[in-house]
This record gives sequence, C-alpha cells and structure tokens, in this order.
Amino acid sequence: MTAVDVPAVCGDRERVIGWLQEYGVYVGVAALLVFNIAFTPHFLSVENFRTQAVQVTPVLILSLGMALVIATGGIDLSVGSVMALAAAMISLYLGYGPVAAILVALVAGAAAGAVNGALVAFAGVQAIVATLAMMIGGRGLSLVLLPQLDGIRNAGIRELGAGDLLGVPYLVWVSAALIAVVAFVVRRTVFGRRLVAIGGNRRASELSGLPVRRTLLAVYMLCGLFAAVAGVLATARLQASDPNSIGQLIELSAITAVVVGGTPLQGGRMRVAGTVAGAVLMQLLVSTLIKHDLPPSWTQIAQTAVIIAAVYVARERGRR
Amino acid sequence: MTAAAAQDGAGAVGPILRTRGLTKRFPGVLALDGVDFDLSPGEVHALVGENGAGKSTLIKVLTGVHAPDSGEVRYRGAPVRFETPLRAQQAGISTIYQEVNLIPLLSVARNLFLGREPRRLGLIDFGRMHRDAARILHDYGVEVDVTRPLDRLSMGARQMVALARAVVADARVVIMDEPTSSLEPREVETLFSVIGGLRERGITVVYVSHRLDELYRICDRVTVLRDGRVVHTGAMAGLERLRLISLMLGREMAQVERQGATTFGGAHEQRAAEPVLVAEGLDAHRRLHGVSLAIHPGEVLGLGGLLGSGRTETARAIAGALPLRSGRVAVAGVPLRRRSAAAAIRAGISMLPEDRKGEGIVPELSVRENIALAAMPRLARFGLVSERRIDRVVEVFVERLRIKCAGTRQKVAELSGGNQQKVLLARWLALNPKVLLLDEPTRGIDVGAKAEVQRLVDELAAEGLGVMLISSDLEELIEGADRVVVLKDGAVVGELSGGEVSEGALMQAIARAGRAGAGGDAGADREVEP
Amino acid sequence: MATVPFDRAGRSPRRTATVFTALACTALTLLATSCARGEDEAGGGQTAGGGQARAQELDDAAGSDQTCNIEQFGMEKFDLKDMTVGFSQSEAESNPFRITETASIKSEAEKRGVELITANAQSDFAQQISDVQGLMSQGAELLIVAPLNSDGWEPVLAEAERKQIPIVTIDREINGNPCEDYVTFIGSDFVEQGRRAADRMIEALGGEGEVAILLGTAGNNVTTERTEGFKERIEEKAPGIEVVFEQTGEFTREGGQSVTEQLIQSNPEIDGVYAENDEMGIGAVTALRGAGKQPGDVKIVTVDGTEAAVQGIIDGWIYAVIESNPRFGPLAFDAHESFGKGEDVPVELIISDREYTRDNAEEELSNAY
Repeated sequence: MTAVDVPAVCGDRERVIGWLQEYGVYVGVAALLVFNIAFTPHFLSVENFRTQAVQVTPVLILSLGMALVIATGGIDLSVGSVMALAAAMISLYLGYGPVAAILVALVAGAAAGAVNGALVAFAGVQAIVATLAMMIGGRGLSLVLLPQLDGIRNAGIRELGAGDLLGVPYLVWVSAALIAVVAFVVRRTVFGRRLVAIGGNRRASELSGLPVRRTLLAVYMLCGLFAAVAGVLATARLQASDPNSIGQLIELSAITAVVVGGTPLQGGRMRVAGTVAGAVLMQLLVSTLIKHDLPPSWTQIAQTAVIIAAVYVARERGRR
Repeated sequence: MTAAAAQDGAGAVGPILRTRGLTKRFPGVLALDGVDFDLSPGEVHALVGENGAGKSTLIKVLTGVHAPDSGEVRYRGAPVRFETPLRAQQAGISTIYQEVNLIPLLSVARNLFLGREPRRLGLIDFGRMHRDAARILHDYGVEVDVTRPLDRLSMGARQMVALARAVVADARVVIMDEPTSSLEPREVETLFSVIGGLRERGITVVYVSHRLDELYRICDRVTVLRDGRVVHTGAMAGLERLRLISLMLGREMAQVERQGATTFGGAHEQRAAEPVLVAEGLDAHRRLHGVSLAIHPGEVLGLGGLLGSGRTETARAIAGALPLRSGRVAVAGVPLRRRSAAAAIRAGISMLPEDRKGEGIVPELSVRENIALAAMPRLARFGLVSERRIDRVVEVFVERLRIKCAGTRQKVAELSGGNQQKVLLARWLALNPKVLLLDEPTRGIDVGAKAEVQRLVDELAAEGLGVMLISSDLEELIEGADRVVVLKDGAVVGELSGGEVSEGALMQAIARAGRAGAGGDAGADREVEP
Repeated sequence: MATVPFDRAGRSPRRTATVFTALACTALTLLATSCARGEDEAGGGQTAGGGQARAQELDDAAGSDQTCNIEQFGMEKFDLKDMTVGFSQSEAESNPFRITETASIKSEAEKRGVELITANAQSDFAQQISDVQGLMSQGAELLIVAPLNSDGWEPVLAEAERKQIPIVTIDREINGNPCEDYVTFIGSDFVEQGRRAADRMIEALGGEGEVAILLGTAGNNVTTERTEGFKERIEEKAPGIEVVFEQTGEFTREGGQSVTEQLIQSNPEIDGVYAENDEMGIGAVTALRGAGKQPGDVKIVTVDGTEAAVQGIIDGWIYAVIESNPRFGPLAFDAHESFGKGEDVPVELIISDREYTRDNAEEELSNAY
C-alpha cells in the first residue's frame, strides 16, 4: 500500500462526519452540560436535574414512539392531537377514578393509532397524509369533548404529576420504564427487527414473508399509545386537562429529537439511546436559553441550528 | 473502424483522458492504488476486473462522485478535478449506471432533454421536444410514446434513453456500466450498432462488463484492474480469452482452463418421480396465460424466453408475489391455500428476486440481519430473538457461500454486488426450502462470484432441492439447466430436456414460437404442448 | 395430485383497512360519548359567564373625544330591533376570555330580541376575512367584529362601505379611519393594565426586589402593550425593582408552569412574577407549589380576572389580578343602538377594568369569569 500524501484531510473529514452522526448528539449534550455547570448558577443541583427530567418527559415519550414509526419509513404528525384526546378522556372519565380514566385515555390513544396504522398499512395512504388527518381530526374531537381547560383536583392524578418514589418523580420512572421497553423491543424482539427491516426495504421485507401490514399497524398503535401516555403525564403535571393547548406543535419537537438522535427520516434504522439523547439535548438547549433569559426568538434560532446541523451530518453520510 | 485505426487516432491526438497515480482510500480498503489509465478519442475501452477490483471507484473518481486522495486526472490535456457528477457531465463525461439513473415519473422526452429542454419564450417547447425525442430514439431502435413516463418502459429501452441522453448532452466520454445486463439479445445488437456510431463520431466509450463475448466483439483496448491496481492494458484483439480471465482472477491459466467457462457440473439425476413443485394454469392479468410446470427434486429447471416473456412473472406467481386471477400451486403434493409470500415461504418456496437492490437487500442492516431476515421467526422463541441461533446459522452460510465481509456485522450495502447476492442466497437457504426459484442469480456480479453461485446451484440440486433458474445469459441457462421450459408472451411454448438442451435448440424454440419467426430445421418434435 | 385453488377472497387490504378504521373510529366515538363521567358531574364543569355577571363599565377619562354619528357616516337611521347583527369571533372559544366574550354577545342579543348570526375564525386570519364576508352575504346589516389582527381588513371594509354596514370592533382595533371604515372601537387599554399590574407589584414588594415577567405570545399586541405599561411604571415609580427575567409562556398554563420551573431553579431568590394572563399565572402557582414554596413566598400579579385566578387570591398564592373584562355584549349593542338613533358615539370606548385583591376577592369571586 502506498502512503497517502496529498489531501489526507478528505478521508478524515468523512470519518469525522461519520463519527458525528453516531455520537454528535452525545457531544452536544455533554457540551451543554459543561457550559451550564460553568456558567449557569444553581445548575448542579438535584432539584434542577429533577426539573429538566420532568419537563422532558412528554417529548421524550413521544419521540420514542415517533422513532419507531420513523424507523419504518413513516411519520406520525398526530401525536400532539392524541395527547389532547387523552387529556380530554382523563377529564371526562375521572368520575370512575384515576385508574379507569387513565385506561380509557390509553385505549383512546391506541385506537387513534390504529386508525393511522390501518390507513397507512392497509389502505396505502401516505403516512404524512393519514396522520395529518388525525392531527386535525383528533384535536377537533378533543375540543368538542372538552371545549375548555378543566382543572383536576383528583389526588391520584395530582400525585402522579407531582409526587415521587424514592426521590425520583413518577414521571421520570414512567419514561425510564418506556425507554427500557422500547430498547428491549428493538434489540431483542422479532417485531423490533422487522420494523427496521420494513423501513430499510419494504419490498424485500414483503418478499421475505414478513407480516409488513400487521407490523406497521402495531407500530402506529404503539406510537398512539405512547402519545396517550405523554398526554396523561402532561395532564397530571399541569393538574388540568387542556386539550386546546396541550401538545401544540409538539410533534415537531418529537421529530426533531428523533432526527437529532441519528435516526434517519427515510427509515431503516432506529436508535433508542440517540433518541433519548436527542430529546434531552433539545430540553437542555431550551432550558439554557431560558435560564440565561435570552429572548424567545433565540430559542427558535438555536433549535433550528441544531436541526440543520443534524440534517447536514446525516446528508454527508448519505452521500458517501 | 478497427481497433488499429482507433489507436492511430489516439496517437495523433493524444489521450482525451489520462490519469496518473490515482489513489483512493476508504476506511479499511485501498480502493485505488496508483492507477494509470488512458483513454483515446473514439476508442471503445473495456474496463474489467472482479468486483472489488476498483472499477466502480475508478469510474466514480473520473466522474466526480469521489475525490481522489492523490494522483492526477487530465482531461483534454488539462488537469481537472470535478467536484460533482454534474460538473463532469457538463464537461462531457457521462455515465450510464448499472441501475439506470433517470427520473422514473417524468416523461421519456423530459428525461432525454433534462436540463437541456428546447425552449421558446423561456418555456419548454414541448412540441419540438417530443418530435426531437421520437426522432432520436428511433435511431436507437426505441419506438415508444415519448410522452409516457419513463417507468413504463422496459429496462432495455430505459438504457437506450440513458444512452441517447448522454449523446444529446454532447458527451465526449461515455461510461457504460454493465449496459447489456438487462437487455434482450435484439436490444444488445442495437446497442452495439449505437456504440459503433459513437466511435465513428470520435466519442470514447468505456465499457464495463463481465460478458467476455461482448468485450471481444466491440472493444478496441482493455484495461484489467485487480485489487485497485492496473494489471494489464493493451489491445483487445491480441489477448487470449483464458489469459484475460486469469488476469482478472489472478489465477493460473491452467486452472481456469480446467474449470471451464461456467462451473456447472453435468446433468443431475432425477431421483424422485414425484415433482416437488407443481404449478397449474397460472393466470395473471395480461402477463401470464395459463402457465403450468413442474419441478422435480434434484432438478434444475431453466426458464427460457426473451425479456418480457413471463419468466420473472412465473417465478413471482409461484412465490406468492404476483396477484393471480387463477392457478394452483402445490409443494410436495400439498396445495397452497393462501396466496402470499409468507404462505409460499412456509410451504418451502424460496425466491431470489431479480432486482437485488430494490427487492433484495436491506442496505442499512448488517450481513447477519440480512441473512436472518426471512428465517427470523424460526430463529426466535416467543417473539424474542436468539442471537446465538442467528450466529450459528449465519456462520454456516458465510462459510459455505464464502461471503467476503469485514465481519457479519458489516453493513450489507458496503459489500460488492457478488457478495450481496450471496447474502441473499444465504437468506433463502437459511429457510431450508424445498424449492428454490432463482431469478437472474448472476446478473451484475463478478466472474469469481458468478462461478461460485453456479457451483452452488449445482450442489443444491445434488442435495435434492428443486431449482428453477432464470437467466438471460444463454450459456448459463444451457449449462446449468437439466430441462428448459420456454416461455413466450406469458405462455409455455416449448420444452427442452436432456440432450436437446443447447443454445441452438433454445434459440430456435424461441424463434419458432413467434408468428413471424424464421423457421429452422431443428425439430418440431421438441415442442411440447403447454 | 389434488390441488386447491388459491383462496381468492383472501384478505383484501382495502377491506381490512375499512374494517379496522371503522372499528377504531367506533371505539373512539364510544369513548367520547357513551358513559363519560367527569370529576364533579353535579356542577357540570365551569359555567363560563354570560351577561348575568358584572357588565363592562366605561372609563370616561380614557377614550377619544372624537365622535361619530349616522349622518357623518352617511346612512339612514335604523332601529336596532329590526336589524340582523353579525358577530365574528377571532379565536376558538376554548379559553375563558373568548368563551365569556361570545356568550356575552349572544345573551345580549337574546335579551334585546335581535337576530344574531355568528362565525369563529379559529385563529386563522384568512378565515376571519371570509367569515365576515360570509356574514354580510348572509344578511347581516350590522357587524360586531373581534379582530384577530389589526391590519389587512381593506377588502372587508370596502364591501361594508358599499353595502352600508356599520362595524363595531371589540377587544382589538382595526387600523382604518373611524366613522368612515368603522363606527367605534370598544376595548381595554392594555398598556394601562400593565401599569396597574406594576402598581400592585410595587405595593406587594414594597418597592424593592427582583421580578420576572411571563410574556404572552410573541408578536401579539396584547403582549407588547401589557409589557410596555408594566415596565414603564416600574421604571418611573420603583427603581428598586429590577426585571431580571422575561420569557414567553405562550399565554398557556403549561408554558407558564415550565418557564417558572426553570426560573426558580436559576433564580431561587425571585420575589415577584408578573404573568400577562391568568393561565400563565396559574401555571406559575403549580410550579411554585411543586418546588415546595409556600403561598406568598413569591408575589404573583396577573391580568384577566378568571375565576380560577381570583380563587388563587383567596388561597393566598396570587397577590392581585387586573381585570380585562370580556363582557362586551351590552356596550357593543348600546353603541349600535345609539348610532342607529342618530346620537353621537365616541369612536373609541375604553372600558374601565377593575381589579381583584385580597380585600375584595371573596365577594367578587362571582363576578370573575
């Protein structure tokens, strides 16, 4: 082998970009942590980490479901509306007690996901169209059900939103459990392998005898279920059902977390840890800007910058 | 024009394109290692080598897809470095890729003139564009409605459109990567005459192919690459066929000679009288008209016929991947009740699809995930994946099929075409099928891998599998198959078995079935009623 | 050999889709309608206020001296009772302010026996333009408009002029010439609301301390004006108070809560929070309670006057609420009525907003909306 003398930079650059795609999101999280530890007063406190963990919970849970859908090559724009639907259900069914109300909310989420899944998998409607319909219809339905914010006084729901177990908020326990479940599903189950293969090459998956439609249906149902969980937790935290403003534009945050975490939008790949880190990165970013009292427009600009960086890195990799 | 004439021209004008010491390194691989490569104006230059030899990388460096790590490219006398394929195209270097890179949903005419549309008042002059397109394509033997979307065309016609497009774009150098792999013999002839035309106009053609016959027919000079280096450059005419193969493979000539051109063994005995697969009256709207056939264990059944005769459709129908109006399929006497790929797989039918990229590999997944894809349910318990079981199966097949990879966790997209094909074969064999349907198993893969695949088909048949082989490589079909069913227009028009299986007989069977077919002397007795 | 034809009926994907979608939709509908039982069914949820609660009063000092009468406007006198009134609402009736505003218009129309047709633009300005045009073509002879934006009304104004339809705008202004493009504007003075919130904050903190502002939606005139008035008054009267933090809570409870949670992490010493609407203020209360603060540790002043916020004063969490009264019904119809009689109507009617403090919260709770 001859020595490569002239522009060794070129190969290095590709390697750096490949590395960034793999680990960039962790670098981002670490950089923000270091910055905050150095410059943000009272950052290194248990209370602060608790706040960040609690605030990131809804987006984090959504982005896990979203990552599953995106890994199949689809997308789910309806997650925010499904959150609203779940919030409305909580308020409507709280008369039967918190457990029943939460169950109804979860069933509603899964049902909404089933509609999305059936349209995508069986009727062949494009994911973006099917879930856009649900995004509008779901929000509309929840506003019909519960036209205005309804405060929740039920002790059980309030405890879920504000209480903790062994010093860790219930919200954080739930998201940790869901992360574990998704990681297990993706790594260890046939279902998890299938959904990634379907995203990678749907025709090949069909010819290989994979139950493509059933898998897609299940994935959208899971995503709906996760959205409902996020809706229940957000409602519990707010101590009010607010179908009008809950989950507005949150689908974009979830998609951002997934993409920043290194799952490509065209599917075929699924990164659980990256997705979690992506959600945490966006949370830390917003929190840093708020804590330093920078104008809200800065937050949007910073988020945009992160998304562009993530997409750029992904694109560079795709070109290789 | 002869090869000598072309070289004379080269001597007078100097090379149109020349590289010196071209080196390109990918992580873990030195893809090009100091390549010196010259192209003369108006020559047809064969670029050959096994997969992984560096052909694709060289082409990509020449056309601006990759930047070289070191070395120099001089084009028309001046050093160049194309930053993008578009720049190379604008400078006059056009590539016609293996997987044709046109825009499927745009019309044929739009594709032909993309970026160079004739304009009137700043708007596209569609009338003129369509007239010009029809005229140009006519010269290439393509008679189609140029206003239809490109994806309605056959692969062969698309290739011609791509070629015509390169010429429309004033190319000085046209690079063709496996241009004939998806063409019918008739289309190949047209292509060759078009290439002849290009040569006369002084356009240089770089011709990449694994089909040695074609190289000898149309190429003036040849450059052989092996392991990223140029191992031979010279005139095509003086080079012995065996010498060429040995240069490519890096094997001794004697060894090549012993192994022959294909690696198929003799005919297989049909050990059992009962067929392992029976298909009756397969009928698909406008594509299949009552195709019936049977495959016996230990037999390789060839499907003969031209492109579009229904060979692929027959395989897909049997494998549950093509909706049927009617028809029955039974495996080992047990009829399939449901018509789906999954049901066919459960019954023991495996099909290697023709379109490796589109329907075969899952590019983002690793070699082992790709191998285990179809067999996943069998390698799992209660829906949970057993890595240990997967590893066991994968190891067996990687070894048996000699899949070359940097480890089973390497992404399959990073493998050469031949190795990807082997991965797919492994996927299907891991299902332990009773019937194996192979649709163009050696298309676009290098000589070495091709030989291995052919040998494997032999072995599998010998082990008692029923194999169906579809190949547009006549030699492969004749030598590989024990029996050939000939299709035309979606119906069975003949069958050759035993000693009748020969190139001539097959050609005649195909030709005779056609209404305008020239009558040959080869016997009508060979024809069997479908 | 016996072979059986494929099961042609199979499972058609489209049919499966239809079946599945139908099933799931049925499930959703059932959940939505069948046997819901809310937390306190007896109360039937909040009854958003109509006309029975306290109506708006005009601030005689504020507003414009310029007046408009029907002759200047150039049309015939009319009797309100015979007219059809069109009402265009800008935002969805999902927050207390909008609910009360619409309810107030509707109940006033009912009380006076005037025919009313309504439309809601759901925060979509293009929709509102076509809403108003629709109202006119449906036969509205008088208009009450709660505009989403101040600009971009030219097409509507031109059409109204042609058809001689007088317009009263409420809660936000339309940019145009009074008595030409529209008759009058009735609304609150948002800058003044900000000033009064500042007065309460100064009083609460004794003129010393650090204050955070929970801003409304960016680019909204309510946000800018409530901020402007607050800062102006603080600067002028209490240099000892410093605004150390300004972040948007998007006028939502969730936004107020999240931002306040961040705030009390990074500024644990914060003394006061000015929330530009009640919802964000209530979110701030939730955040403070979650962080283990006691009522009164951080002084909260909010604007709007919703029932939940006034209840917050009684509970000790909120120091004061500046009212922004949405009950436009009586004043809007009064304006049309006197205009129709040929009387002079001021082209700008500014409402005198009240405020709720610890002293009056309990007795005034019923007046909150």
